[in-house]
Amino acid sequence: MSELQSSSKNLTRIKLTVDLVIFFAFLIAMDPRSSGIAVHEWLATAALAALIVHLLLSWDWIVQISRRFLGRVNLQTRINYILNWLLFIDGSVMMLSGFMISEAVFPTLGIELPRNFAWRELHDMTANLFLLLLGLHTALHWGWVVDTFKRYIFKPLGRLVSFRRRKDVTA
Amino acid sequence: MKTLGRILIILAVMAIVMGVTYAAVNSGGSASAAPQFEAGRRPPFREGQFDGDRHEGREGGGGWMFGLIKNVGVIAVVVTLIVLPKSVARKRRRTVAAS
Repeated sequence: MSELQSSSKNLTRIKLTVDLVIFFAFLIAMDPRSSGIAVHEWLATAALAALIVHLLLSWDWIVQISRRFLGRVNLQTRINYILNWLLFIDGSVMMLSGFMISEAVFPTLGIELPRNFAWRELHDMTANLFLLLLGLHTALHWGWVVDTFKRYIFKPLGRLVSFRRRKDVTA
Repeated sequence: MKTLGRILIILAVMAIVMGVTYAAVNSGGSASAAPQFEAGRRPPFREGQFDGDRHEGREGGGGWMFGLIKNVGVIAVVVTLIVLPKSVARKRRRTVAAS
């Protein structure tokens, strides 16, 4: 296997891991009733770092499409690009409104902010929109999700199971 | 160095979006019309009016399962609504091309 292939394989593996971490963290953070407000806030704050890593891993695609956006780009890529911007803007607004009504992160840091209903309503609205946009984002990358799961999770698991079976038969 | 620059770009764009939102909320009617209060001196609110769903333990044991399943369900429905018709259309195109 060439060095280029190997590094691309590693990058895909890292992308899959980061995306899974973001996805599950988001699911936990999206339900403060169960996780508790402190977990909700700290997890969402930590997700900012994971989101930056996710964007860094897709940096080449972002730059490429940003340059070609007004030129020749197929419809799905164009929709995907717009959707990603919406997701980014919505995520930023959701984070800001979350900080403005923070009950755990900011008070722990010694920052007290005057709060009002507008931020609370904005936080709810952006969170609901984010869930919808995340669904669309997942749907547009479904092919990649299925391929990557098959290649890096199901196939190695299948190989492991068949290896164990062979071992059991020979024993 | 390149990565650091990219991180700064991402944070700068995020700061712009947050700055615009902050200005819009604070200058808009929604913020001035909304009741304001100092942290720690918050008056009691009705359940669900301000922070009814932000505190832990309100729903008991089954609450977290419901929230999690609901969120996964929303994502699954959206994915199905988009992926399924796309896959059917692709299969149809393939059948037409083969015949």
